[in-house]
Amino acid sequence: MSHYAIEVQDLKKEFAIKKKNVSFWKRRKENKSFVAVNDISFNVNKGEIFGFLGPNGAGKTTTIKMISTLLRPTCGKILINGLDVQKNSMEILKNLGTVLAGERSIYWKLTGRENLKYFAAMNGITGKKAKEKIDYLLKRFSLDKRADETVEKYSTGMKQRIALAKALVADPPIVILDEPTSGLDPQSARNLREIILEFKEEGRTILLTTHYMEEADQLSDRIAIIDHGEIIALDTPKNLKRSLNKSNTITFELNRWNDVIEKELQQIKSIENINSYFDENNRKWEVKVQINNGNETINNLITTITNSNIKINNFKFEEPTLEDVFINLTGKSLRE
Amino acid sequence: MKWQKLKFYMTTIWAITIKDIKIFFRYPINAIFRIVEPIMWITPVYFLAKSFQIGGENIGFKLFSGTSDYMAFLIIGSIIASFVSAILWGMGFSLKNEMDSGVLESNWLTPVPLLVQMIGRSIFSVIITLINSLIVAFLVWLIFGFEIGNGIVSAVITLFPMLIALYGIGFGIASLVLITNNANNVIDITNYLLNSISGNRFPVEILPRVILAVSLALPLTYGFDSVRGILLETNTLLPLYQEQLILVLFMFVGTAIGYFILNKVEKYCKTIGNIGHY
Ligand SMILES: Nc1ncnc2c1ncn2[C@@H]1O[C@H](COP(=O)(O)OP(=O)(O)OP(=O)(O)O)[C@@H](O)[C@H]1O
Ligand SMILES: [Mg+2]
Repeated sequence: MSHYAIEVQDLKKEFAIKKKNVSFWKRRKENKSFVAVNDISFNVNKGEIFGFLGPNGAGKTTTIKMISTLLRPTCGKILINGLDVQKNSMEILKNLGTVLAGERSIYWKLTGRENLKYFAAMNGITGKKAKEKIDYLLKRFSLDKRADETVEKYSTGMKQRIALAKALVADPPIVILDEPTSGLDPQSARNLREIILEFKEEGRTILLTTHYMEEADQLSDRIAIIDHGEIIALDTPKNLKRSLNKSNTITFELNRWNDVIEKELQQIKSIENINSYFDENNRKWEVKVQINNGNETINNLITTITNSNIKINNFKFEEPTLEDVFINLTGKSLRE
Repeated sequence: MKWQKLKFYMTTIWAITIKDIKIFFRYPINAIFRIVEPIMWITPVYFLAKSFQIGGENIGFKLFSGTSDYMAFLIIGSIIASFVSAILWGMGFSLKNEMDSGVLESNWLTPVPLLVQMIGRSIFSVIITLINSLIVAFLVWLIFGFEIGNGIVSAVITLFPMLIALYGIGFGIASLVLITNNANNVIDITNYLLNSISGNRFPVEILPRVILAVSLALPLTYGFDSVRGILLETNTLLPLYQEQLILVLFMFVGTAIGYFILNKVEKYCKTIGNIGHY
């Protein structure tokens, strides 16, 4: 048995694009192809949350569909619990709970309960066992009160939760989630993220895609940043941010400022840079200090300022974000 | 182990059928239409048949078929034809529906082979067809009456391998809707070819030679022909036992072809990635 839940080796997906140039006299068919996923490799450890972060069209869904047997790779290899996905698809599907993006993965004309009953049976779970499981899931995902209404009447958040319950009905050790929080309001998104963390606590392995960097940062043990079908970075969120070699920035709002204090602060070793600016409108100083060794300097900094009889009205601490990492790697913003 | 797998597949087929029944009745208009539908199409045909009769007998028709009871001839043809459509239409249409609504992927994510899913999907449409046929046959018998020889049992036995074969081919053809944009075309064309040319409404002997050759190559032709031979004592194209043999052979060839197409289609869909939205 492999100690990886998912192993992906040199995975590639090329889509054929048929472009028809129709003119009256001749019909030329150009066959072009588009590489959606280009030679990616990564391993997901058992029990971790592995995040796939990338902009629209990066190839996240394509990768996920290949892992969950819905798409055949052009080349490359995928192993799940050591088994080859192409050769053992039925065996593998028993171990995977996949939720694809969009809210259309369940029957809208069936009730929540009926959906779960159907998908339980499709996994060989019936009778009393199924009933217990379904009651438990409905309760867990706060759907029990409306379990007997058809899904078409559900809100987006409820639809997402029933889809999640569906994926969990066979108790799969590996859960794959494609953009689980997209389209949800902040509150529902937060609830969902909590649920995902619970999955992890239950010992499941989770592979999720997202284009929200905060989400990837908050949830993932490790993150693969993907762009144009290629993994351009793969590490823990902390290491990714550290790799930027960017210092933290502290912004102070102060009632006064002068060169003497600035000189004094410059004596502190880990301070890299000081920028001061007087805000005419609000009659206050804004001072940006860049430090490179994290939190130890902060105390020193504040003591020095207050000892000079300067009042600190406000201060803000900024760490580099995954967004910065992405910009650094690709030269563009994740949101573009 | 084998037995467990079979039990699992039976469970899933049952679950699919139940699901189809539930969804069917959540579209009430559709449900009513599907049930009264056959009565609507049988009526004009009946009057057509009636209008050609002389003294209660359809003389011209009798020359070809050996029976003057065109009505009975027609009913039997229609019942078989509606089974053919049920398998093609019902399944192809439900597949396309599930593809458009996005649940097809969810089904493909269950550990159930596609073939088993297809069998599951066809059960309900066959049940509906059975109900349809019985209603029509009963109504027609009640109002106009027609005589059936006492060969019902042997007719059913004769038809059995043909239905299996149709299932086989039907799965293949139904799955073709997944790779075209227009389910209706695939279904209409194949349905027309299968039914009309093999004579659901007329004896194939009246077809032009070229089309007759095609018709004789379609096993369905022998299905219509042999069942009428048994029930109505019409003249059959070949001796009855030969037609029955053809149907049994057809069962093996048909399921093999269907299975082959189904696998190809599944592979193709997973290669081009068309069954979900992206
Ligand atoms: N079946 C397909 N046929 C042709 N091209 C496809 C197909 N599926 C995806 N693509 C293309 O491959 C690229 C990657 O798509 P994919 O859906 O994997 O991106 P994604 O990272 O999931 O993006 P998003 O955030 O928009 O969901 C896109 O340019 C898309 O248009
Ligand atoms: Mg996507």
